[in-house]
Amino acid sequence: MSKANAGDTQVSRRKFLLTSGAIGAAGLAGCSSSEGNSSEESDGGDSSDSSDSSDSSGGSEISLLNAEGSSTVYPISNKGSSYWNANAPPSDGEYWGSTDESTVPGWSEFDNTDMNLADYFASLYGFDPTETRSDPPYPTTVSLSHSGTGCKAVRDGLVDIGNSSGPITAELGISDEKASEEYVDHVVGRDGQPVVVSKEIFDAGVTQITGEQVRGIYQGEITNWSEIGGPDQEIFVIGRAEGSGTDTSFRLNMLGAADASMSGVSSRFGQNQQVAEAVANNEGAIAYMALAFTSDQVPPVAIDFDGTVYKPDKDAENTIFDSAYPLNRDLHMYTRITEETPGGTDMQEGAFLNMFLTSFGQQVFVEQNNYIPLPTKDIQAEAEKLPDQV
Amino acid sequence: MIGTQVVAARNALTHRWQRLSSFVGDQEPLAVATVGIMTIALVSALVGFLLVSPFTIIPFGIFLIAASYGWLNYQGLTARMLTLSMTVSTILILLLITLFIFMKSVPVIQYESQSVLGVSVPGLRMFTQVQWDAVSPPIRYSMVPMIHGTVMVTTIATVVAAPLGVSAALFLSEIAPTTVRELVKPGVEILAGIPSIVYGFIGFTILSPWAADQFQITGQGSYLFVGIVVGLMALPTVVSVAEDALNSVPESMKSGSLAMGTTDWQTMTSITLPAAFSGVSAAVLLGVGRAIGETMAATVMLRGVPQLTKPLYNAFYGQATLTSLIANNYGEADGLQMDALFAAGVILFITVIVISIGSQYIEWQMQRKLGGES
Repeated sequence: MSKANAGDTQVSRRKFLLTSGAIGAAGLAGCSSSEGNSSEESDGGDSSDSSDSSDSSGGSEISLLNAEGSSTVYPISNKGSSYWNANAPPSDGEYWGSTDESTVPGWSEFDNTDMNLADYFASLYGFDPTETRSDPPYPTTVSLSHSGTGCKAVRDGLVDIGNSSGPITAELGISDEKASEEYVDHVVGRDGQPVVVSKEIFDAGVTQITGEQVRGIYQGEITNWSEIGGPDQEIFVIGRAEGSGTDTSFRLNMLGAADASMSGVSSRFGQNQQVAEAVANNEGAIAYMALAFTSDQVPPVAIDFDGTVYKPDKDAENTIFDSAYPLNRDLHMYTRITEETPGGTDMQEGAFLNMFLTSFGQQVFVEQNNYIPLPTKDIQAEAEKLPDQV
Repeated sequence: MIGTQVVAARNALTHRWQRLSSFVGDQEPLAVATVGIMTIALVSALVGFLLVSPFTIIPFGIFLIAASYGWLNYQGLTARMLTLSMTVSTILILLLITLFIFMKSVPVIQYESQSVLGVSVPGLRMFTQVQWDAVSPPIRYSMVPMIHGTVMVTTIATVVAAPLGVSAALFLSEIAPTTVRELVKPGVEILAGIPSIVYGFIGFTILSPWAADQFQITGQGSYLFVGIVVGLMALPTVVSVAEDALNSVPESMKSGSLAMGTTDWQTMTSITLPAAFSGVSAAVLLGVGRAIGETMAATVMLRGVPQLTKPLYNAFYGQATLTSLIANNYGEADGLQMDALFAAGVILFITVIVISIGSQYIEWQMQRKLGGES
């Protein structure tokens, strides 16, 4: 096609303009008539006849699935989207399927399917497989912004899925009832907020602090490491962007309230990378950030909450990977309840989200990004929020 | 006296009107009609846009059709009309943006009202107390810490950029051989094109940690080093504009001075610099304008916690400037906090306008003083 048109770019450009114009017009027409359609649908389509709904979403309305939001959820969401768009065949072995050399984690769950990755997950929700590499049944994209922006985007219908590292109630300032009436909260993994300190402090013996000490540091009551058994060094207290998801959940879980004072903070950074860089470059720093950014230079410390010591070690009895660790937070992908999808999650969203709720998805997209995978009972609870598979 | 003025004004008006009607009379009626349709269509499109009407596209489409018809048949008149409407829309767009910023900041100005002698003054509390806290009560949006930060950074940047820039300009304009000037001047102007994030990145990863270590500051981020970096960024602007100003001093003035038996240095200090003083100040003011508006370098190098340093002149701790506040928080801000960012934008806007007008005025003065008949 492109070869045939290559000689006559002007025609093809004009054609393109005409086509895009026509698409725009069609979109407008669709918009204006959608109200009438949807009321009809909600009148008649209450019974959950799955073949019917798969026709409407799987047949004619295939379009791009887009997500946007938090930089914390982004690694999970984006890796999932990349895998999905590549639509690797089972003969790949590295990204999907099994070969003599390698097998993807959790492969046994899929009964040795012969379908490509996205084809398999999409077919569970009634979409036709393309059987072509790099050509998924429908493409997905993930944009990177902030939790608040992601929640607003899903609220305004700009995206299908809003990624957020904080609860939507706090991000949009709405009540729990309103949130559960209008949005479906899909938790795809957990993010621990390990407390990290500068390497010098860690090496000097501060490898464990209590929750109360962290609170004291962040509220300005403790200003020198010597007060909690460290070297004589002023504490450089690093916080996160005021009002961000990370900031809100830290205030809530560590300081006791979402609007707790943080008068001890001497610096705030918006991004995990900046925090890691600042902790590595400065002596006497303390910070909290996503697990994925900890390293030898930015070591996490054990935290003692009411006598239980949560260690930054996967093999310990209580670890910061546990869901019981108070600084763990759920990573959300929100979808909006509309008139067309009273369940809140349409077939496209369901097929994509379902991929994350398999043991393959949890290991590849969550664990490999240093986030905390969901326990089995949570996976089951999350799967129930999705539409019925075909 | 007043009567004659009124008569003169009326005469001028009737004269204008006569010229306009004769101009219209000279044109073909169809051409006038086309331009008339374009005008009406464009104005209705504007009205539609302001009312957020979905039908805005219709008058705009009519305008485009009329414009293309006019362009093909009455190119001269249509071009006049098009260029005029483009100018008007440019000004209109800028006005609407300004209006929008002001309107968005209204809620927080109302929230920060404070009563003085029983009269409630909107926005006053933003300046009478120094606490900024958008999350934990009492929620306060004081602009004082950011104004303080901006003043600190700008002052330090000026102290860095003004002497360096003016002496470099003096050297390039008066002392350096022509070949050196021809090479260095464009080089300096290219420096102005280095993206500010590059400076900020060097500042964040190298300068700030080094400074924190050397001066034993708790953690990184100091107004001193942000000021130095921003001063270096403003340097090319200062050099370039100041050099132009020094160059525009007429050769005859310098020759006259030299003929009196002064040395080159005496001519520079007592003739060239004073004559170009207003232009050189304009150069420094332009540099200051850049320092105030500088965002990227300040954002990545400062701490982002709006509070005053103790004592006030302590430049070794850097908290936040008006621009860094906006850049740090726009993604997460909501409600009043977002409006407070717009309020910071309004303060910046007013400051930059004052500086810009000031430098334009000085430049205009220089033109009047030294422009001559050239």
